[in-house]
Amino acid sequence: MAEDIRIGVFVCDCGSNIAGYLDCPSLAEYSETLPNVVFVKENLYTCSETGINEIKNAIKEEKLNRVVVASCSPRTHEPLFRESCGEAGLNPYLFEMVNIRDQCSWVHMQEREEGTNKARDLIRMGVAKAALLQPQEPIQSEVDPKALVIGGGISGMTSAMALANRGYQVFLVEKSSEMGGLLRNLHKLAPANVDAQELLAKQVEAVSNHENISLLTSTTINEIQGYIGHYEVTVSTNGVAQDFGVGVIIIATGAKVFRPEGLFNYDGKRVITQFDLEAFFRNKKFKADNVVMIQCVGARNEERKYCSRICCMIAIKNAIVIKEQNPETSVHILYRDIQAYGTENEALFQHSKQLGVRYIKYDQERPPEVQENAVKVYHHLLGRELEIPQDLVVLSTPLIAGEDNEALSKLLRVTLDANKFFLEGHVKLKPLDFATDGVYLCGNAHYPATLREAISQALGAASRASIPLAKGVMTVEPIVSVLADEDACRGCGLCVALCPYSALEIVQTEKGRKVRVIPVACKGCGVCASTCYQHALDINVYTDDQVEEQIRAFLTGS
Amino acid sequence: MLDAGRHAKINLLAYSQVEEVSGEVGAFQLKVRKKARYVNEDLCTGCGACVEKCPSTVKDEFDVGLGERKAIYKYFPQGIPSTHCIDAENCRQLGQGKKCGICAKVCQADAIDYEQQDQLVDLEVGAIVLATGYDVFDPSVIPEYGYGRIDNVVTALEFERLLSASGPTHGHLDRPSELALRVEIAALEKELQKATRQIDKLEEKHGKKTAEFVKEFKAGKAGEDGDFERWAGLAEKAAVAEEKLAPLKKRDAAAHTAKKLAFIQCVGSRDFRFNRFCSSYCCMHSVKEAMIAHEHDNETTSSIFCMDLRAVGRGFEEYKLRGGESANIEYVRGRVAEITEDESLNPIAWYESTTTRQVEHETFDMVVLATACVPSAGTPKLAELMGLKLDENGFFKTDPLAPLDTNRAGIFVCGCAQGPMDIPESVVQASSAAARAAEVVSMAGEVAVGGS
Amino acid sequence: MVLGGGIAGIQASLDLAEMGIQVHLVETLPCIGGKMAQLDKTFPTNDCAI
Repeated sequence: MAEDIRIGVFVCDCGSNIAGYLDCPSLAEYSETLPNVVFVKENLYTCSETGINEIKNAIKEEKLNRVVVASCSPRTHEPLFRESCGEAGLNPYLFEMVNIRDQCSWVHMQEREEGTNKARDLIRMGVAKAALLQPQEPIQSEVDPKALVIGGGISGMTSAMALANRGYQVFLVEKSSEMGGLLRNLHKLAPANVDAQELLAKQVEAVSNHENISLLTSTTINEIQGYIGHYEVTVSTNGVAQDFGVGVIIIATGAKVFRPEGLFNYDGKRVITQFDLEAFFRNKKFKADNVVMIQCVGARNEERKYCSRICCMIAIKNAIVIKEQNPETSVHILYRDIQAYGTENEALFQHSKQLGVRYIKYDQERPPEVQENAVKVYHHLLGRELEIPQDLVVLSTPLIAGEDNEALSKLLRVTLDANKFFLEGHVKLKPLDFATDGVYLCGNAHYPATLREAISQALGAASRASIPLAKGVMTVEPIVSVLADEDACRGCGLCVALCPYSALEIVQTEKGRKVRVIPVACKGCGVCASTCYQHALDINVYTDDQVEEQIRAFLTGS
Repeated sequence: MLDAGRHAKINLLAYSQVEEVSGEVGAFQLKVRKKARYVNEDLCTGCGACVEKCPSTVKDEFDVGLGERKAIYKYFPQGIPSTHCIDAENCRQLGQGKKCGICAKVCQADAIDYEQQDQLVDLEVGAIVLATGYDVFDPSVIPEYGYGRIDNVVTALEFERLLSASGPTHGHLDRPSELALRVEIAALEKELQKATRQIDKLEEKHGKKTAEFVKEFKAGKAGEDGDFERWAGLAEKAAVAEEKLAPLKKRDAAAHTAKKLAFIQCVGSRDFRFNRFCSSYCCMHSVKEAMIAHEHDNETTSSIFCMDLRAVGRGFEEYKLRGGESANIEYVRGRVAEITEDESLNPIAWYESTTTRQVEHETFDMVVLATACVPSAGTPKLAELMGLKLDENGFFKTDPLAPLDTNRAGIFVCGCAQGPMDIPESVVQASSAAARAAEVVSMAGEVAVGGS
Repeated sequence: MVLGGGIAGIQASLDLAEMGIQVHLVETLPCIGGKMAQLDKTFPTNDCAI
């Protein structure tokens, strides 16, 4: 005889976030009337230590064997509640969360009664499902203590060094024949005030000589299979293929400089980009008396809405270089907003003004006009058009996403943003991780960054990547697909083709072709279970039975 | 936050301060003072029964002085650890030598311990990460903005608390002038109530209505009684209070929440008188606050006064544009020169518009000052304690090429302790400081193994 | 040892602890959380700050 189902329901006020818009006391009262519910408690904040202790005590004292929390988003708080159940001796997967904040109090702020009714429905459904939950055990898998870093720029090299210094073996892959990425094109670096090529040479030497780093230049990634802890990587170096295994992957593929073809009479000689200018400096080809720089060329417009973050600072840095070479050279910077954020950048901006660099704000609606020997620009403060003589125009162009990003994102199943930069797991709290575990990112691959930022991010990504490496064994949440009915599976392979995480494969068994789930790779998204014609696959915590019971509870009102 | 409180490998020492540091990379010795909470951490359940009964009310630091808390308190509702804490200075029992002991009486868990002393904890660690954050610039030193003098001029952090559902106004944009008004009304009503109660008793005793009595008393026909002087005084007091209350209540009834907002950028930043640097996050902070205010009440309009609007991260420029297109935000290029106040306590911003080249002024319901991010007050002392260099702005000095390293090996610094930055950048730096610290600790470990 | 229990201090502590390194997290105020806990919501997603 199965044990009695004893469900405890906790209704969270979330301060006034929920209780301000819904009738929480009535929700608690209502919960008491639901089948199998033996304990109900309304909390000011269920997630506070006080609330958690109430859950734990109720599990012990009321002998609860299922817990339902009606509060906020499972995305932020489910792990905490599950773990707390576990600490009180209840299997963490006998827990169900109902989101009455995002789905009720937030979206029905003006409709107290309807919002409360909806919360009632959701709690009833949650309780119905909870009764059918089964205990699950975490899935464990060993981690191959090696890392792959993709991209040999400053970010990739810094990440590789940090991991190698911790004793992990690193494969550092660069597609071109030389290391260094964008840094190879630069002249001087600000605010560090060092020569880019000297810095680069030092870093390349350190990376090349490190016993834990295998440096693979002229190398492209052909194939990556597997999941966190176990990736099988196939690369080809000058056409020669090789395979190796790693546990984690860092994306440090950098970005490209936008070439302003057709804009402001760009010709690469008299009208050049900031990157061309750096090359002029390095080759000692720079010669001009009147320099005009134009900011936001190809950025912050309809086509490319974003601000590329670093171009203002590049312009300021190069203007300072020009002024230091010859204070008589006139430098005008035509800008929309000067993005000299922070302490060092603002200091450089002010320093440049002291050196005599002139700044003129232009309006997006009235952009400057490059003429034969002058640039025409409307001056805000004077309220009239100015003609600034020039013998060199420098266009500040944004960094744009690398052309390989799309292919790589598909290979690793990680997301890109609208501008094709790699998109982190959470803008605020997970800036270096992806939704997919085991893959990390840093540097310009993520978004344009200064050198200081790129180095910070690279070290940070190494830190994140070293966590699974240090643990040695990965523990994965057991919210996964299971082959619930092996006999029903016909081995058609539809699910394998659709799985976004490569977590399914077809194997030959005694009973013929059958699908097999790789639990560590599975994210529990449910695509396979919902497309299987035979209902052979199920998600273990969202089984067909459980979902049907929820729908029944919703429709029948009991 | 909760994860940090519960992690088996993290020993959380809240309400504590480092007092001494010696040793070097791989083996630092520290003395940490764990301040007395007067509440036993192992016993306190965080239930809050003590807070309800505590008789001493003080301004709440977490609500930046806009709300109130008791002398026994929890720093904020979701705070970790949830152990309460007595602020001895404001406690009747501990700080004022009065008899009280109410919290000890109501505590079911027996957690109150008035005898608790500070504890000195000795620690030995391989590496130190400084994540000591920043302070908000105090704008009252800028006389022309009237902060502290004009009620409806607030800082961005104060505004954040006003917007917050768990803040002093439950997220409604009540203006500080009206909050002050309500405090005044409540005090007068209390006074009036007290007088009325006593008057009622006197009326009953003498079988006479006060109005009648006052008439007689003034005419000198009331006769002699020990009560009469007091009665007359009370009647006068009640009349004055009522007279005072009427216009206040009328003002309160006419008050509406703040719907027309101004945000002033670079308050204490990019200003040679105070800080030359740019505080980095304030532009986006103001855009966000204007967006949330509009989300809360669709009639809200905001003007953001700025020199440059620095929207430099992923999605920032797009967010800024969205604010302009769909949240009634206007970006005004110009630095506000002065803020004055009209008779309805509305702040007026005076500025020169660089687009129209005219001195203009506009009246708002509330003005929000986007205050600078300045080094935290304890920074110089900590720097001295640890032998660390500060930069010209007073933040811990780092190198652009080794962004987490201080001048001392084994001591790293991340987040706003090294200069203003936004949340994701702080998180990035935290991870990278962890990488640097781990490198040091794992190397120190190897040395120790080699030596044994 | 990590000094400061704001978002940076918490993240640094968690990363180190997850790597298996013992961390002492020292905060001068009675609770950790720092300035971020005082914020209402964060942009661009307008998520709750806590």
